[in-house]
Amino acid sequence: MAGADIKPKCMERAKKWSDEVENLYRFQQAGYRDEIEYKQVKHVDMVDRWPETGFVKKLQRRDNTFYYYNRQRECDDKEVHKVKVYAY
Amino acid sequence: MVVEQQGACALKQAWHLPLQQPLPLGPAKKAKPQVSDGFTVKAMMKNSVVRGPPVAGAFKERTTKPTAFRKFYERGDFPIALEHDTRGNKIAWKVEIEKLDYHHYLPLFFDGLCEMTFPYEFFARQGIHDMLEHGGDKILPVIPQLIIPIKNALNLRNRQVICITLKVLQHLVMSADSVGEALVPYYRQILPVLNIFKNMNVNSGDGIDYSQHKRENIGDLIQETLEVFERYGGEDAYINIKYMVPTYQSCILN
Repeated sequence: MAGADIKPKCMERAKKWSDEVENLYRFQQAGYRDEIEYKQVKHVDMVDRWPETGFVKKLQRRDNTFYYYNRQRECDDKEVHKVKVYAY
Repeated sequence: MVVEQQGACALKQAWHLPLQQPLPLGPAKKAKPQVSDGFTVKAMMKNSVVRGPPVAGAFKERTTKPTAFRKFYERGDFPIALEHDTRGNKIAWKVEIEKLDYHHYLPLFFDGLCEMTFPYEFFARQGIHDMLEHGGDKILPVIPQLIIPIKNALNLRNRQVICITLKVLQHLVMSADSVGEALVPYYRQILPVLNIFKNMNVNSGDGIDYSQHKRENIGDLIQETLEVFERYGGEDAYINIKYMVPTYQSCILN
């Protein structure tokens, strides 16, 4: 598989909230770097998202338990600087 | 001689007078008032004071009984685990919510609304929230089984439990289509307690009531919940709410 071991080249912290930061926050809550790692580890093509907002709805953790997320924003402003943004 | 005779006569007359009781030295004593219950024969006496009616205890908190939710949780029957994250606590599900049997689990989680201690109340609240968010069509058939747990939670008359139950009711009504209308026949079971607490607002003058912002002011929360019921309950909702809570004013018709 071509994308089996893709690793990020650099990482920086998010400064401002956006939809992408919100989704990264949700992936990192579940123990993954981002969507790319989740798809690599879990071998899935699609991630469950809320249709209205596009935020991640459900993720399976590495211990196979499920995390469910709200329709609306969950990442507070004070948590934004903890979100890691990876570049490939 | 005449005087002596008169004096003798006076003495003779004094012997015939009745003996007088000695006068009391202090002020005159009044009869002590008797306290009695109303509508009794004793209450009709002149010196009886009627005691007021006993306190009915409408606002008094009732004690909680052990719930089925606690029993099932301690047995490990729930597919949930507690996770600690930066924001506090979060719930992780061992089974996908979409595959859960709502007829079995949702009434059990609603039964946990009566709990006031950690972690039971957290699991109940968060579990209900997650199940309602992802239930969809599976929620409507379970509504009749949720009424008794909701009624039990409201009947505890505990402020915190009532606040949580009201927020859960709002979420329930908005969670899926037709749920609001399905709840209308059960208003007579869940609205009487709301009628009691509807005027429980804090009169702080021109001060700031922070409980309003945190959505913990019971009076405002009840008003908000009734408005949600009316919006999502269809045509018959307003008249049924008005029957149980006569002081409610419509938010749609006005």
